[in-house]
Amino acid sequence: MIDQGPSPLPSSTDTDLFGPDPETDPLAYYRPQAPTADFYSQSAGDIRKAWHDLARGFARQCNGQIDVLQDYLDRHVEDLGLAFRIRGDEHERPWPLGPMPILIAADEWETVTTGLIQRADLLEKVIADLYTQQSLINDGHLPAAVVSGSADFARRMVGARGDGGPFLHTYAVDLARGPSGEWRVLADRVRFPIGIGYAIQNRQALARATGGLLASIGTRSHSGFFDALRRGIGASCQRDDPRVALLTPGRFNQSYPEQAILARQLGFSLVEGRDLTVREGRLFARTIAGLKRIDALWRWITTRDLDPMNFDARSQIGVPNLLAAARNGLVLTNWPGVGVVESRAMPAFLPKLSRVLMDEPLALPNAATWWCGGETERAFVLANLNDLVISSAFRRGVVGLEDGHTRPGASFSPEERDALERGLTLRPMDYTAQEVVELSTTPALTGGHFEARGFTLRAYLTREEDGKWVVLQGGFGRVLERGDLRTSLMGLGDISTDVCIIDAKRPAPPETVLTPRKHEIRREQGLLPSQAADNLFWLGRYGERAHQTARIVRVLVDQIALSGDAGVESTTATRLSKLLANLGASRALDGKISFIDVCADALGSARLTGSVLKLIEREQRIAQILRDRLSRDSWRAVQRAMPDFVAGDIESIALACDRLVERHATLSWLLSDGMSRGPEWQFLNLGMSIERASIILQAAQAVIPGSASADDLSALLDLIDCQSLYRSRYLSMPYIARVYDMALLEPAQPRGLAFQAAKIERRLAAIPTLRTDGMPERPLRAARQMRARIDGLEAAEIGPMTIQGLREDLANLSEAISERYFLQADDTDQTRTRRLF
Amino acid sequence: MRYAVRHVSELAYASPVSRARFNLRLSPRLRRGQTLESESLRLTPAPATREIQRGPYWVTTTQVRFEAPLKTLEVTSEFTIELAPSPLPQSGSSLAQLRAQVLAAADLSDLAPVPYLFASRIATMDPAITAWAAPYLACETEIIAAATSLMNALYTEFTYSPGKTSSSTPPELAFKARHGVCQDFTHVMIMALRAHGVPAAYVSGYLLTRPPPGKAKLVGADAMHAWVDVWCGRDLGWVGFDPTNNRLVGEDHIAIAMGRDYADISPIDGTFIGGAPQTMKSAVDVERIA
Repeated sequence: MIDQGPSPLPSSTDTDLFGPDPETDPLAYYRPQAPTADFYSQSAGDIRKAWHDLARGFARQCNGQIDVLQDYLDRHVEDLGLAFRIRGDEHERPWPLGPMPILIAADEWETVTTGLIQRADLLEKVIADLYTQQSLINDGHLPAAVVSGSADFARRMVGARGDGGPFLHTYAVDLARGPSGEWRVLADRVRFPIGIGYAIQNRQALARATGGLLASIGTRSHSGFFDALRRGIGASCQRDDPRVALLTPGRFNQSYPEQAILARQLGFSLVEGRDLTVREGRLFARTIAGLKRIDALWRWITTRDLDPMNFDARSQIGVPNLLAAARNGLVLTNWPGVGVVESRAMPAFLPKLSRVLMDEPLALPNAATWWCGGETERAFVLANLNDLVISSAFRRGVVGLEDGHTRPGASFSPEERDALERGLTLRPMDYTAQEVVELSTTPALTGGHFEARGFTLRAYLTREEDGKWVVLQGGFGRVLERGDLRTSLMGLGDISTDVCIIDAKRPAPPETVLTPRKHEIRREQGLLPSQAADNLFWLGRYGERAHQTARIVRVLVDQIALSGDAGVESTTATRLSKLLANLGASRALDGKISFIDVCADALGSARLTGSVLKLIEREQRIAQILRDRLSRDSWRAVQRAMPDFVAGDIESIALACDRLVERHATLSWLLSDGMSRGPEWQFLNLGMSIERASIILQAAQAVIPGSASADDLSALLDLIDCQSLYRSRYLSMPYIARVYDMALLEPAQPRGLAFQAAKIERRLAAIPTLRTDGMPERPLRAARQMRARIDGLEAAEIGPMTIQGLREDLANLSEAISERYFLQADDTDQTRTRRLF
Repeated sequence: MRYAVRHVSELAYASPVSRARFNLRLSPRLRRGQTLESESLRLTPAPATREIQRGPYWVTTTQVRFEAPLKTLEVTSEFTIELAPSPLPQSGSSLAQLRAQVLAAADLSDLAPVPYLFASRIATMDPAITAWAAPYLACETEIIAAATSLMNALYTEFTYSPGKTSSSTPPELAFKARHGVCQDFTHVMIMALRAHGVPAAYVSGYLLTRPPPGKAKLVGADAMHAWVDVWCGRDLGWVGFDPTNNRLVGEDHIAIAMGRDYADISPIDGTFIGGAPQTMKSAVDVERIA
C-alpha cells in the first residue's frame, strides 16, 4: 500500500494581509545569496509555478511542517533497501536522499538532450577509430600519449571487433549548469552508468512519499528508457528472443545494490564470473537446468578483470576466454576498452574531434580543458595556474598530485608549486588543467528550510533497437555540501535528489506499456544459475535453523522455569542443552555453565557459529547476494535485526525467542507470498525442509538417547508443537513409541519428519530434469528412498540406530542435491599464475 | 652469429588439474637484425587446441587448451636464430629533446615508444626510485650516456642475489633492499627511466650458456634472462641495456619478447581447476653454432 502521509489540510488561501504564509508557501521565503545564479530564482512562467506548486504540495502534505518530509522519505528509502558504500566501508550506508528535486523545464532539457546525443555519437566514433584504424592518431588529431596513458585503453582489443556492432550501448555523463544558465559536461562515463539504479529508486521513493504530486506538476516519466535499453541490447543479438545477463563483480562491490536493482528492473540474470563458462566459443551460464547459452552480457566489471586469459591473469572474478565468445557473436557491452575516452585529457580534444569526425562544433561544451603534453598548453597552464584546477590526466598519483586528486592551482604552496613544475617538465603528459566551473544553485530542503546549494547532474543515455540514442527523462541529482566537485558518485555530506523534467503544458501522459512486436505470452521462469539456487537453498536452511534453534531455546526456558536453573539434575534440560551444543549453538555443559548461559549462548553468542545471532547474520549475507530475487517486503523482513535480550534474564530470553519465531513466520510468509512457484521457490523450500528434517532427527536423538522420561518426551512434543494433539489423542502421559510416531512417521504433522520427506520429494520432482529418458535424477531417487524407508517403519521398531540411519539418508540426499544442482569447487575456473623461470 | 636455443619446462601437479588453459610466450617475435631458421614449440601431452596470437606488445603468444585432466606438462621450445652484428649506438638526443620527440610520435603500434611511457602493472611509479635516479637523468644529458650511467649505478649499488626475491616481489621492495635478480634490476631501471619521461621496455630472452674460451660466463645464462630496451629518440630507436651484467645488449643477447613489464610477457600463465603445480623445473641451453 502506498503511504500517502497525513491527510492534507483543508484548503486555505495562500496569501493574506502579511504576505505568503510560510507554512503554505515555503519557497516564498527562500533567499539565495546570489539569486542571479540560482536555478529557481531565475525561473519564470510555468516552471516557476511548478517549483511553487511542488513546495506548496510538500507543505500541504505535512501540515506546514516540511521538516517531517525528510522522515517520510527516509522511511521510503529504507523500505526500498536503498544503500551505498563508500570505498572501504564494510557495511552499506543508508542512502541520503533530499526531498526537493531539481526541476528542469522541458524546453531547456531538449537543448541539453540534443547536445548529449551528439556527444554520445562522437564518443562512439572516437572509440571505433581507436580500436580499428587509429587514423585520429596517425593523422595527428589525437596524441598517442592521450590514448596510451589511459589504464583503460585495451591494446588487446585493437582490431578485435569485426561485426560492426556498437561499442557503446549505455552512456552516462556528468553535467553542470553555470550561473548564467549554460550547461557544461564535467565528465563522460562510458564503462558503467553508475547511479542509474539510484535514479530510478530516487524517483520511486519520492513518488511514494508525495503521492501524485510529481505527476500533477507535469513531471515526465522514466518509463520507456529501460524498455529501450533492453530492446537495444536485444537487437544486437544473433538469436531472436535473446538471453541477457548482467555480470557483477559481487556483493562487495560499491555499486552492487544498484546492479541488483537493475537486473531486477530489466529482467536480466544477475551473474558472477563463476556462474559463466566459455565452451567452443560460446558463453554459457551454469544453471540448475544445465548450461544455458547467454546472448548478451552487460558487464559491470572492469576490462582488466574481465578475462584472465586475455587481460590480467590474476583476475578471480572474470570468465576465462570471454573474448573468444565476444568474437563469436556474444554481445559484450559496453565493449572492453571503451573507458579510454574517460581520461581527463580527452575533453581537451573533443571540440576538435567533433569537427574532424562529425564536421560540426560541439553543441554542449565541456569544461575548458588543457592537456599539458602540448607545449603551448603547458606554458598557458603555468602562466594561469592560479585560475585553473590541476588534475592528473590519467588519475594516477603523479609528482605534485601524489594522491591523484584534482586541486585548484591557487592552493599550491611555493614548494608544492616547484614540485608541480618539476613534474610538468619531466612528464607533462600526466597533467591536465581545467577552468574553474561555477555552479548554479538550487533550493535544497535541509532541516525544514530551503537553502541554496550547488548541484551537478548525471544524465543517462541508451540505444534504441534502431541504434538511436534515448535520453532518460530525469537523472541523478547531486546537491553538494561544499562547493568542490569530487568525482565519485557521492561524497560524505552530499545529498542525492531526483531530477524532474517538467512539461507544464503537456501534463505527463498516462504511461503506456510498450509491447514487443509479437504479443507472446509466457509462463516460463528465467534462468536460475546454479549459484543462485545454492544461495536460495542455504537461505532456507539458515533461516530454518535460526528458527528451530530459537524454538529449542524456548523449550529449554520452560524447563528452567519448571525446575530452576540450579536444578542440574533435570535430565530434560541437560538433554536440550546437549542438543544445542551439538548444533554448535552453545558451549557444552560443564560445572561452570548454567542452563541460562546455554540459552544466552544459543541466542546471542558472537563466537559460536550456530548461535541464532550468527545464523541470522549468515542469512542476511546470503539475502544480499539474492537481492535481485527477493521482493521488497521479504528483503525488509530478512534485514530485521536480531531482537535484544539480557543474558541472565530468563524473561527477556523468552521474549526474544517469541520475537524470533514471529520474525521467521513473517519472513517465510512474505517469501512464500511473493515468490513465483518456480525453481527458485523449490530450492528455498528444499533448504527449509531439509533443515527441519535434520533438526527433528537430531532432537529425537538428543532427547531420547535410548530411554526417556515423561518430561523429555514432553519437551520433544513441544518442539514439534504436538503437545495438545497428543493429550487429546491419548489422555495419558507420553510414551516413546507414540511420540516417535508423531515426530517421525505421521505424515500429517508439519513439524514432523514424514511430512517434510514427502515435501522434499514433491519439490525435487518439480525441478527441471537434465535427463531426456524420463528416468529420475539421483536427488529424486535419494528422496524417494528416504521416504520409502520412513513409510515402511513402525514406531515400536525405532531406536537410536534407526534414527542414525535416517540421518545418513538425509545427509546423502543433501549431498546429491548439492552435487547435481550447485557449482562444485571443480566447476569454477580458478586462476593461477606462476613464474616458472 | 647463429644460436641454437633449447628451453625445456616441466610442470607436475600433485593431483590432476582440469580444464587447463595456458598462455605460452616462448616463441620469438623477431626484431630487426634477427632471422629465424627453424622453430618448434612442443607440448607433452598435446593440447586439444592451439592458437597463435601476436601482440598486444612485441610478443608471440601461443594459447593452448587441454580437455583431459593434466598431471604433468612438458613444454619444449627450440629455435635456431641468426643475429646480425649490431653497431654500437652513436650518441643521441638530450633527454629534453627526447621527451618532445616521444610526445610527437603519432604511433601506437607494438614497437612505438608511447606504449612504453606510462606506469604499468608491475613497473609503477615509485618516488624513491625517481629521486634516486634523478642525478643520472638531467635534462641536458645525452640519452645513451644517461642510460649508461643509470645502469652503472644500478649494477654498482645492487647485489645480484637469487632466491631473495620472487616474481611477485614488487620492484620497489627490491629497490629498498638493493638486491634482486635480473627481473628486479630490469624493473627498477624501467621505472627510473619512465619517471623521467623516457620510454623503457622489459625484454625477455636468452644468453649464451657456455661463454667462448677466455670470456667470463654472464649472469643469467642458465635460465631465461631479462633486460631493458630504452627508446633513445627518433634516430636511434630502441637500444638494449643489461643492468644485471652492466653492458649494452649486443650479440650475446637473444631477445624473444618485449612488453611494458614482466606481466605482459611472462613465459607461462593461465587458468585451471585444481592446486598449484607441485614442482616446476626449467632448463635452458643456448649454443653458438657455425
